[in-house]
Amino acid sequence: MLTPILEVKNLSARAGDKEIIKNFSLTINEGEIHALMGPNGAGKSTLAHVLAGKPNYEITSGSIKFLGRDLQQMKPEERATAGLFLSMQYPVAIPGVSTANFLKHAVNAKRKYNQQKELDAAEFLKLLRTESAALNIPAEMLKREINVGFSGGEKKRLEILQMRLLQPALAILDEADSGLDIDALRIVAEGINRLHNEHNALLIITHHLDLLNQITPDFVHIYYNGHIVRTGDKKLAEELEENGYKNFVENE
Amino acid sequence: MSFTEQNISLWGEDIPWLSGLRQKGRQAFTHCGWPTAKNEAWKYTAFSPEKLHNPQIIHENRHCSADCHCRHNHSPFPFKVYTVEFCNGQLHDENFADDLPQGITIKSLAEAIYDGEAQKYLGKSFAMENFPFAALNTAYIEQGVMILVEKNHQLDAPLYVHYHVHDEADCFCNIRNLIILESNASATIIEHYEADKNAAYFTNAVNEIFLNNSANLQHYTWQNEALEAHHVALNSVQLRTDSSYNSFILQNECATSRHESFINLQQRGAAAEVNGVYRLQNNGVSDITTNIRHLAESTYSNQLVKGVVNGQAKGVFQGQIHIAPDAINTEGHQLHRALLLSNSAEIDCKPELEIFADDVQCSHGATCGDLDPEQMFYMQTRGIDENTARQLLITAHLQEVIEKIPQQNIKDWFLQLI
Repeated sequence: MLTPILEVKNLSARAGDKEIIKNFSLTINEGEIHALMGPNGAGKSTLAHVLAGKPNYEITSGSIKFLGRDLQQMKPEERATAGLFLSMQYPVAIPGVSTANFLKHAVNAKRKYNQQKELDAAEFLKLLRTESAALNIPAEMLKREINVGFSGGEKKRLEILQMRLLQPALAILDEADSGLDIDALRIVAEGINRLHNEHNALLIITHHLDLLNQITPDFVHIYYNGHIVRTGDKKLAEELEENGYKNFVENE
Repeated sequence: MSFTEQNISLWGEDIPWLSGLRQKGRQAFTHCGWPTAKNEAWKYTAFSPEKLHNPQIIHENRHCSADCHCRHNHSPFPFKVYTVEFCNGQLHDENFADDLPQGITIKSLAEAIYDGEAQKYLGKSFAMENFPFAALNTAYIEQGVMILVEKNHQLDAPLYVHYHVHDEADCFCNIRNLIILESNASATIIEHYEADKNAAYFTNAVNEIFLNNSANLQHYTWQNEALEAHHVALNSVQLRTDSSYNSFILQNECATSRHESFINLQQRGAAAEVNGVYRLQNNGVSDITTNIRHLAESTYSNQLVKGVVNGQAKGVFQGQIHIAPDAINTEGHQLHRALLLSNSAEIDCKPELEIFADDVQCSHGATCGDLDPEQMFYMQTRGIDENTARQLLITAHLQEVIEKIPQQNIKDWFLQLI
């Protein structure tokens, strides 16, 4: 019996007067890996932001359930502590806040939510050292201000580190592969694969087959004009790589 | 009875030059009057005597009791300091100076006046017509210390100057200090204003600071007066060849607070760093005003001031950089950044650059705004709640200024205060 983590039904949302999500539905169950592909400007990042609870979007109809709870009633931080993680396409730099300090706050917020004892500095550093080593993140980088002056690859590895530390039930990875060289892509993909198990799920937003060759999706969705226009398996992604989006979006 | 008509008998009326100086102060203050919003330099910090509840200079007979904590010479620092204590505006001169290293003199202003040492410095660093409160301060010169570091000597630990108000009465703390560093001398001074009751007193402090060739002064201030207090302070600094003045103020909220730096880079190679942080959340006014005068070539100044204003409070930054015609090859930089966290709070910022020389590098900038919503959202998506995220961003905003403090132990001490 499949246990749903995320259930989106007939969701429509707008920013100002512009309707950007139109009658979107998607169910993600435990253990599943979904890939969402679509042309530039289709609104994939907007969808990810709406799910993470970014203000400025108004949900006009439909419903979103996350682990059985009404997601719309939850603040972004509640969604995060409850197990929803968004790896951002463009992670934000925060001058004056050290990466390690930021991560400690994040980890302890989650632990507090789970009614676990918060980690002290030494316990946290031990955890951080193990997880960052696996992603080839040097200790020096963790002392720097978060995302300030980080290269594209460093930012993406840091997003994956945060995902690993927070152990989400659902990770939405918005172009986690963009700007990565072959080695960095492999490290990121391994980090994601090590997280994934039968109790959690992934929603991977990507333009490239490369990542999907390393993390095999159960479903591939083509997202266009605010909703899913086609769902298939990995073969659909291969078809896209071959022919582009024109066969799928022309009828819309 | 108006504030200046108080019949206060001050010591030293038998010293003609001192009485003359006080008289000049009284005249200058009478001439300027209390600054109002019409006075350009006080436009945003109008300060009226009605607010002062007729504060009085408190003399010895109302001095603090034997168990007052200021008599126990405690220090809030985890490192060695020398201590000077003021209580209700009166200097406690029992303990200081007994373990000072050679070449360092700290004595009461009274002693320095009677010894004849103060005369060549007192009232010599600024024109009273331009500083109404310093003129008022001059009219009541009495309490203060003289700190002298002789040529080639260093004060080996910071000097902690503690101003403590514990009396409930409306006291008028009129403090006048002289800080003199001879050639190649150096010192660190930490001034700390505080009160243990929320009294509506008035602090009016003036430091006249003279830095001779290659002298170096690190000057820190923690203004933590009572919420109802009024606080006006002037640091008037004269710098000679290759000397440097490095200051930082942490300004907490009180009814009105004005911290003014008047800095004269008189000779080649003189340098000043004037930084500050202010935090307001009720309805107080906090003003940081600087006037940095580059009067000689190859002089340098840099200012970084950051504030956070909430509630119905008002933050003011006025920064003037003046570069004289001969002051070529100089550098003057200024930056003010404020977070305005409520619709009824106010920030006023007035940068003024007067540049009369070519071949100078000058910059100024001012920003004012709310917390960045993208940064807030990013933190929240990591599970950090809104309140904590705000606090982290506010601390990060202010921390940048404190990070500039060159002495690690003092930097750490200020960091834990924010």
